[in-house]
Amino acid sequence: MAGFILRRVLWMIPSLLAVSFLAFFLIQLPPGDYVTTYVATLAASNEIVDQRTAAELRDRFGLNQPFIVQYWLWISGILLRGDFGLSFEWQQPVSGLIWERMGLTLLLTTSTLLLTWAIALPIGVLSAVRQYSFADYVFTFIAFLGLAIPSFLLALVLMYVAVVYLGQDVSGLFSEAYQTAPWSLAKVQDLLAHLWVPVTILAVNGTAGLIRVMRANMLDELHRPYVVTARAKGLSEFRLLLKYPVRLAINPLVSTIGWMLPQLISGATIVAVVMSLPIAGPLLLQALMAQDMYLAGAFLLLMCTLTLVGMLLSDILLALIDPRIRFD
Amino acid sequence: MDNIGLNRRRLFQGAAAIALAGSLPTEPRAQAVAAREAPELSTLVQQNRLPSLAERVGTAPLVVTPNEQNPRYGGTLRRGLRGGSDHNGILRLVGNQGLTRWNMEFTDVLPGVAQSWDVSADSKIFTFRLRPGMRWSDGAPFTADDILFSINDCILNSELYRSPPSLWVIDGQPVRCEKVDDTTVRFTFAGPYGLFLQQMATPLGQHPTLFAKHYCSRFHPKYNNDLAAQLRAANVSDWAQLFRQRCGDIEIPSRWSNPEKPTLEPWVIEEPYQGGATRVTMKRNPFFWQVDTAGRQLPYIDRLNFQIYQDVESLMLDVIGGRLDLQERHIDTLANKPVVSQNQQRGGYRMFETVASLSNSMTIYPNITHKDPKLREMLGNKDFRRALSLGINRAEIVDIVYLGQSEPWQIGPRPTHPWYHEKLARQFTDHDQAEANRILDRLGYNRRDAQRFRLRPDGQRVFFTIDVITALYPDNNDALELIKRHWEEIGIDLKINAIDRSLYYTRGDNNDPDMAVWPGPGGLEPMLDPRDYFAQHPQGTRYAIPWAVWYASGGKDGMEPPDHQKERMRLYDAARSTADTAEQGRLMKQVFDIAAEQFECLGVAMAPNTFGVASNRLRGVPASMPNSWSWPHPAPSLPQQFFFTG
Repeated sequence: MAGFILRRVLWMIPSLLAVSFLAFFLIQLPPGDYVTTYVATLAASNEIVDQRTAAELRDRFGLNQPFIVQYWLWISGILLRGDFGLSFEWQQPVSGLIWERMGLTLLLTTSTLLLTWAIALPIGVLSAVRQYSFADYVFTFIAFLGLAIPSFLLALVLMYVAVVYLGQDVSGLFSEAYQTAPWSLAKVQDLLAHLWVPVTILAVNGTAGLIRVMRANMLDELHRPYVVTARAKGLSEFRLLLKYPVRLAINPLVSTIGWMLPQLISGATIVAVVMSLPIAGPLLLQALMAQDMYLAGAFLLLMCTLTLVGMLLSDILLALIDPRIRFD
Repeated sequence: MDNIGLNRRRLFQGAAAIALAGSLPTEPRAQAVAAREAPELSTLVQQNRLPSLAERVGTAPLVVTPNEQNPRYGGTLRRGLRGGSDHNGILRLVGNQGLTRWNMEFTDVLPGVAQSWDVSADSKIFTFRLRPGMRWSDGAPFTADDILFSINDCILNSELYRSPPSLWVIDGQPVRCEKVDDTTVRFTFAGPYGLFLQQMATPLGQHPTLFAKHYCSRFHPKYNNDLAAQLRAANVSDWAQLFRQRCGDIEIPSRWSNPEKPTLEPWVIEEPYQGGATRVTMKRNPFFWQVDTAGRQLPYIDRLNFQIYQDVESLMLDVIGGRLDLQERHIDTLANKPVVSQNQQRGGYRMFETVASLSNSMTIYPNITHKDPKLREMLGNKDFRRALSLGINRAEIVDIVYLGQSEPWQIGPRPTHPWYHEKLARQFTDHDQAEANRILDRLGYNRRDAQRFRLRPDGQRVFFTIDVITALYPDNNDALELIKRHWEEIGIDLKINAIDRSLYYTRGDNNDPDMAVWPGPGGLEPMLDPRDYFAQHPQGTRYAIPWAVWYASGGKDGMEPPDHQKERMRLYDAARSTADTAEQGRLMKQVFDIAAEQFECLGVAMAPNTFGVASNRLRGVPASMPNSWSWPHPAPSLPQQFFFTG
């Protein structure tokens, strides 16, 4: 096991390098560069940038240099000095910008994940055990409805109703008064009062898929001989379910943890944009749109690292849950 | 509306009143003084933590006549920004404190930071007199040295600005800036510069008042030869970067990210505009150098709160929910107008008008310098363009896309402008398919293919693409969908090339488009933005970018334009170098005559006026104001004299 983990960790290094190159290349791919985008953004409000200033900006950010030189400047800063560079747009160190938003991002996505599982797993099990029952149909219907409604639309409708009919503001994660206040019990309460809206919206969207996966897996397992054996040995129905079929049915969920970690950053982006949530997604989106390469590159690199770490975690967890899995 | 304006005589009266007040014994007047400044400031004065009002505003503050009576101090003005790169949303409320400022009509300039000025007869030398005793927001005196620092040490410094911003360069020579005495500065240009006073009122003309010498010189190697530690601490590689980080520039976010930086603005940064921010707040500048006619120091409003939205729809929701006190930026589209107007009562706000300074909501620029000789010949033919124009059913576009709030229009100054030019604005705006077909037949495009599209003499279909940034101007895209149908009816095949804005600019720079569209400026500010009247703007005159490059580079780059263009360039340069408005008008009329004759770009509909919303509690907002980048609304309507009722 230890050898396996070591091998995997070592393999991560070349993967990350390759990924960093690819990420940097992809960010550069759209026509123009940060300065073109900057000029165009201002032009959108009929605002004009002095031509000489634009040329100078390009020079200053090194955007005139060949791609490979720009990549080297970036990656060598990271490797040799742990310096992710300055964001073009904000003229601030990239690392500060990213960490500033990670806390709330983590909170939002983990709560969403937990809520999704809390709803989907029991329903999935129930739908399988009571297949084609009334409850199965009702829950499946509701879940599919949730899947069919885009979460940003749900968010917009909820916000519109709240503003126009209830006179309430449901956007953001804090009220006006607490936005920059230091952490206190009152601020936590305020956060919880806001948090449930985006969490519900995001969870509604995620449950349907999970319910179906869980239901199908359970149906596969329920008629296996080991279930009959366990029942014959007199195990109570509830214990039996949890101890054997559920444990196996949950397998595919565990193996997808690897994909969930990067979702922590980019998952809720559209809802976050609509609801003005101060999490990482919108910052990444903005960085990509502005071609703010160092900021976007650092985000992508972080996401790739998380994917690799997540994959490793899934493999380890799988081995722990499912005794049939071997390393070699 | 002109009560907000200010004439010279009143200025001196105000100055005298202040001077008098300052010289009186202070104790018995403490009460009256208290009413002439914000309560929070008078508390500080009483605690001896802030100099008295007279010391703070100096002997010659700018006296502003408020728009409405019985102002009161206090309140927080709420406004919205959109994500990153919306620094100009702050600039447009507080950041336009130049040597001069615009009047409400957008026709002339008034004293701003400078209390008066002289212009030499040849319009080459400009002498500004500053306000004695005026101070930066940290209390340090503002003098001629600050302007000299900003010009000579900053914008003329080749490490900070590789080349000086264009408005400081005339005839290839940068400005010369000298100090006459502590409150007098002289600018000398190599050639006549008729627009200089106006330029000083626009956002790009703010450099002289941008950098406080006592603060910004700390980041300048000429004044501080020990920058290494600061560079390391800030994690930047050269001093220019450090300087921009700490002192900003006119149009970059870091202008609003340093609460320490002294400014001349009515409010100063409290919570900065930076990467992770969800809002920006500003608080009053206790040393602001403007007072009202009763001698009360401005601004009336205590604080500003800019909420940062990632998405325009959620910004809109807060507008109709009445949670913003003043907003026009990002929401002032025609499509939003019905919703905003419906919710006025519920949201407790009113709408005000912003008069378009644009001439046309969409100018169509056929590329008459196209790389492909066949297309160049076709699009370069005036009669061909005339046929295209006659083929457009403008009335239908006005009805459907602009909700009837516009009229058919080519280009040129708007009807309310003194330089309005009938032919330039209205020629060929009728919808006359028969005539269009006759012209096209006569030009040799009389054969048609199986789909009834016309063929060029070489057998190719008459086909071209048109570049549009859909995400930016959805109305342009809608109008083009109609035009595509209109032109199909006269046998012309158009493909709408909906692209992202960076690609739009890149294609323009490479002279790649067949045609492009953009809202046409120059409706109220024909002198400041004449890009549609001749090849002036190297990224904006999209019918002939290589000619505009030639003009902007002084003939070094680009492509040499024909004589009628050179004639207009000469006329415009002459108009630009005189400060006499009547003479400018005479010269520009000739430019318009030639432009109308050449008919290089097509207009569709006059740009409709837009709107803003103001909370019912917010007073002093004019019912109508220009909407322009040069008149960066709402700043020239002086938000410092807005106030909240009870």
